[in-house]
Amino acid sequence: MKRYLPYLLFIAALAITPFLDRFVQSLVYNFAIAAMAALAVNIMIGFAGQITFAAGALIGVGAYAGGLLGNAGLDVVSLLGAGLVTAAISVFIGLPALRLRGLYFAMSTLAAQFILEYLFKNVDPVTNGLSGLLIEPPKFFGIAIDTEFRTAIAALILLLLVWLACRNLTQSQLGRAFLVMRESEIVAKGMGINVPQTKFWCFALTGFLMGIAGAMLGFSTHIANPEAFGISLSVDYVAMMIIGGLGSLTGSLIGAAFITLMPEIIQRIGEHLHLGSRIFAVREIIFGALIMLFLIFEPRGIVALFSSLKGNNQTPGASTAK
Amino acid sequence: MISMQLAVAGIAIGSVYALIALGIVLIYKASGVVNFAQGGYVMCGAYVTYALLQAGLSPFIAIPLGILLLGLLGSATEYFVLRPMLRAPVVAVMMVTLGILITMRGVVLFFYGSDTQPFPRVFPTGLMSFGGVMITSNYLIAATASVLLVVAFIIFYQRTTLGLMQRASADNNKAALAIGIHVSNQINLAWFLSSALAGFGGILLATLNGVHDSLADIGLIAFPVIVLGGLSSLGGALLAGILLGLLESFTNGMLAPTLEMWLRAHTKIYSVGAIQQVIPYAVLVLVLFGRPQGIFGKRGAERV
Repeated sequence: MKRYLPYLLFIAALAITPFLDRFVQSLVYNFAIAAMAALAVNIMIGFAGQITFAAGALIGVGAYAGGLLGNAGLDVVSLLGAGLVTAAISVFIGLPALRLRGLYFAMSTLAAQFILEYLFKNVDPVTNGLSGLLIEPPKFFGIAIDTEFRTAIAALILLLLVWLACRNLTQSQLGRAFLVMRESEIVAKGMGINVPQTKFWCFALTGFLMGIAGAMLGFSTHIANPEAFGISLSVDYVAMMIIGGLGSLTGSLIGAAFITLMPEIIQRIGEHLHLGSRIFAVREIIFGALIMLFLIFEPRGIVALFSSLKGNNQTPGASTAK
Repeated sequence: MISMQLAVAGIAIGSVYALIALGIVLIYKASGVVNFAQGGYVMCGAYVTYALLQAGLSPFIAIPLGILLLGLLGSATEYFVLRPMLRAPVVAVMMVTLGILITMRGVVLFFYGSDTQPFPRVFPTGLMSFGGVMITSNYLIAATASVLLVVAFIIFYQRTTLGLMQRASADNNKAALAIGIHVSNQINLAWFLSSALAGFGGILLATLNGVHDSLADIGLIAFPVIVLGGLSSLGGALLAGILLGLLESFTNGMLAPTLEMWLRAHTKIYSVGAIQQVIPYAVLVLVLFGRPQGIFGKRGAERV
């Protein structure tokens, strides 16, 4: 039963989506897109132990690449193209990881985040600068993805594919190598793991997935704006990992759901309390406080809370990265 | 002449960077924690002092009081947030400081919104001229105060008993415990000092550019500084801070206009934007490739 649960949930989601109103449908695709990217970021941080602050910029690369290819009239190829372009840039950003690890690598990804953000803003001929790149609704297999409903369905299907890919990856030899590398690169070397090659695949695969998520994000918002892919987006994804559960695929989904729904809930409460423009500030406070509380009291995230409720203290693979 | 002018501006802003980076180094040395929230303390320092001045206190009381309050805020952070996480992995601790930063920014936005508030005039204004090089007096004061403080800290660290205790607990906390140094208190002191420094840096920056929540971003500029300087070198932070300040100022004054002219002639790009903010990061990546331990850092052996 447990084996089929994800598929049942997926089919249930597909089945109810047509009956939701357009706003809820938009929540569905926002969640699915966030979840795709969160799965990729979790593979990178939670499984391979490469702390990245460049997730926001990489999702941005996906949005721009997907937008440009989609505007050029390419069908579903635009998604794959966005994935490949982002994978190439992700590998390039990952190059310092061949010599650096831990904090220093995190610094180099921070640098990459700022440099890419700068390029989004200033390479006008490609990105249309500060005013943002307008993206037309794409066509997947000839079907125009131009309504909330179709976007939601497309995003859900992509999410299922990404989830399957991530699950298979984490159970493959490469995925096991990620885990060893996370614990200690020296031990990994001693066990005969080719560390540079493992890192290459880590950056390439996660980059590819982030690119697809980014392209879908661009297609759903119809604009790629440099402001949207700033350091705060990167921080959002790191926070999703912490709140959901580092090193757990289910945790990524929970974290993504949490991040998508929390602003809406705060919005509703805020309207009752007449917070007005302070809602954003309240969101930030709750967000920051939650990160702190989870890290102090339950570093393994919501996933671990669930399994300890069931009386099962061991969450597989959910030990926090070094 | 123009290059002298740029050099002076660069040193002035660079010394404030150094001051902020020094705070990060203090905490890193004492506890091995990389404090991403340093920019948050800079921002809080500016806002707290701003609030005190708004309440009608004279600058002579408001500024020291603001710095003291910030120091206490740092102590409290250490006690309530960092201490429960003593056994947590380094990454988790890094992330928790990120959480502190987000919360602080949220609180400031809640009370003051995102408009820039003009900081009351606390230092005498006016232009001074040294052999033809002009500098506004608040830049001069900011630079002098920063350099003096950084040097004072280096002396405190190297020459006083308390500094020795700080160094001992940083070097080997178990050995320090064994000879009777209360390591937790030392770490708490490091947070106090670091936040107080950040608070002072925030006040200096606020006198230059006003109070705004983007002051928190200054912490991100401080990271290239500490990485270039080597995470655990106080002198390195000072030199790297000034170096980056110079780099920023020369990029802004000389490289950017030249580059813009070339780009306009050869491409469709009309502006290089805020390139001076990106250059430090480009340098950071290059340095990390060549010397991963920073220019002044020492390479440590890795334990398995």
